[in-house]
Amino acid sequence: MILNNVRIICAALLFSSGFAASNDDSFEIATLADGLDYPWAVTFISDNEMLVTELSGNLRRVSNGILNPTPIAGVPEVLFAGQGGLSEVTLDPSFADNGLLYLSFSAPAVDQPKLNQLNVIQARLEGNRLVDHKTIFKSDPPRKTAAHYGARLAFLDDGTLLITSGDGFNYREQAQALDNHFGKILRLNTDGSIPQDNPFTKNPDALPEIWSYGHRNLQGLVVADDGTVYEHEHGPQGGDELNRVLPGKNYGWPAITYGVDYSGAMISPFTEQPGMEQPIKYWDPSIAPSGMIMYRGDMFPQWQGNLLISALVPGDVRRLEIQGNKIIMEETLFTQFGRLRNVVAAPDGSLILVTDGEDGKLIRVSAKKSAP
Amino acid sequence: MYLCLEKGRKTSDDQCLIHAQWHQLMIKQIQSFLISLLIATFLVVTHTTATNLIWLQSIGMPVDMGIVVSAMATDLVGMNSRGAFPAIGLIFVGLLIAFITARMIAIWSSIKKPTLYAMAGGAALLAIVALMPLAFYNLDLIAGARTLGGKVYLVLAGALAGYYFGSHPKQGDSNDIK
Repeated sequence: MILNNVRIICAALLFSSGFAASNDDSFEIATLADGLDYPWAVTFISDNEMLVTELSGNLRRVSNGILNPTPIAGVPEVLFAGQGGLSEVTLDPSFADNGLLYLSFSAPAVDQPKLNQLNVIQARLEGNRLVDHKTIFKSDPPRKTAAHYGARLAFLDDGTLLITSGDGFNYREQAQALDNHFGKILRLNTDGSIPQDNPFTKNPDALPEIWSYGHRNLQGLVVADDGTVYEHEHGPQGGDELNRVLPGKNYGWPAITYGVDYSGAMISPFTEQPGMEQPIKYWDPSIAPSGMIMYRGDMFPQWQGNLLISALVPGDVRRLEIQGNKIIMEETLFTQFGRLRNVVAAPDGSLILVTDGEDGKLIRVSAKKSAP
Repeated sequence: MYLCLEKGRKTSDDQCLIHAQWHQLMIKQIQSFLISLLIATFLVVTHTTATNLIWLQSIGMPVDMGIVVSAMATDLVGMNSRGAFPAIGLIFVGLLIAFITARMIAIWSSIKKPTLYAMAGGAALLAIVALMPLAFYNLDLIAGARTLGGKVYLVLAGALAGYYFGSHPKQGDSNDIK
């Protein structure tokens, strides 16, 4: 009796505290594919078919829930080392008509094979093969490190392409300079040319493709229905950030940060500074955010317009409700799968969770059908 | 007059004296080692702090003396307690291996002790700044070691620590075994 009362009181306290907990009983969980080698990105090319990148360099196709054992041919050689490899796959807004897609990957620099670069190519998917490759971006200068590439891609409503380019770890101060690609979001046309309305086209000291700067390792990039751009980035120890990104703005890394270096050293004593933007949320301790969508599906109508962020540490999905420029609620979901590399929404509104590692899995999360 | 026991039996005064001198020498050598460890750790940590603050000031961040002092204090604690590895632990292992190796080399080498241990201390820090990136995808986890100048400074910091160790206890001190 006393025990029951304690349980009731605890439940009431939990409920009244506003703590949002997921109820796993309301989800149906199914493994769609396993044995993937460090899967990184997933995109649907039809209601029942998706493409999956493996960091080790393969682009795989999953059709009707079955992983095609033969990787898609024609993917360029990548540098699979550290955090580098085949990263993002994104479809052209007119993919249904032109079959074009975009891949980001790390690869050795042509003239300096000890160095490497983030590359973005456009290619056309023909059957199980990529053809008509065109390199539209190579990060400059090349780097010696195999870390902090960013490598996310997203289209703005005007058809231009945003590319996240990380700070390369050893080059963090370069994120504050406008003459390089470290720690930047870049905006290009799909042929690799530079839109004339980019924010720094009239600045002779800046690269005209830069759209925003002062970033670290940006691995989540979403364009909301109203055009708002959200990105998240790995901080060092503490200091992972979710930013609302505006063109031409400086997001502060590493001059302002809420994190400290892996050595325990302070990176900066400053957390704010005029002319540098604040995140709309930061995590301390870090969650290592690895991918993000804005949920627009019908299967979970209560999540419409929410940001879903996959996290590597300790491994879960964060559901964030946004109101204006503020996060008003954070819920932790799907803690049972370990490190999550990405989260995407299927055309039917179910979620695809991508687990990290050499035996990566695609896990479908659907709403449980109510009993007849 | 020394009172010594060796395996339960009395030893001669001469043996006893030698044991006592050994004991004192070991204590002094441990003291010297700890001081050299503190010298190297202090120089490594404050170099990282200075590197960060100099860059911050160069881009117009308001770095004043109060921030310099608090940043150094924060890093002296932080780099030895909250990082992926405590700097003092890493340097301890490096110097220990280097000094033991130098001690063995000293048996057949005529290089003066301060010079030999300075080389050993420099080698220890060189190993730390050179080997750590190999284990972490070419990443320099000690921010101060990202540039060639930074690496040279850290090697010199190790050499200074080694020089101190090699110079203490000084030759001719009453506890030095002849």
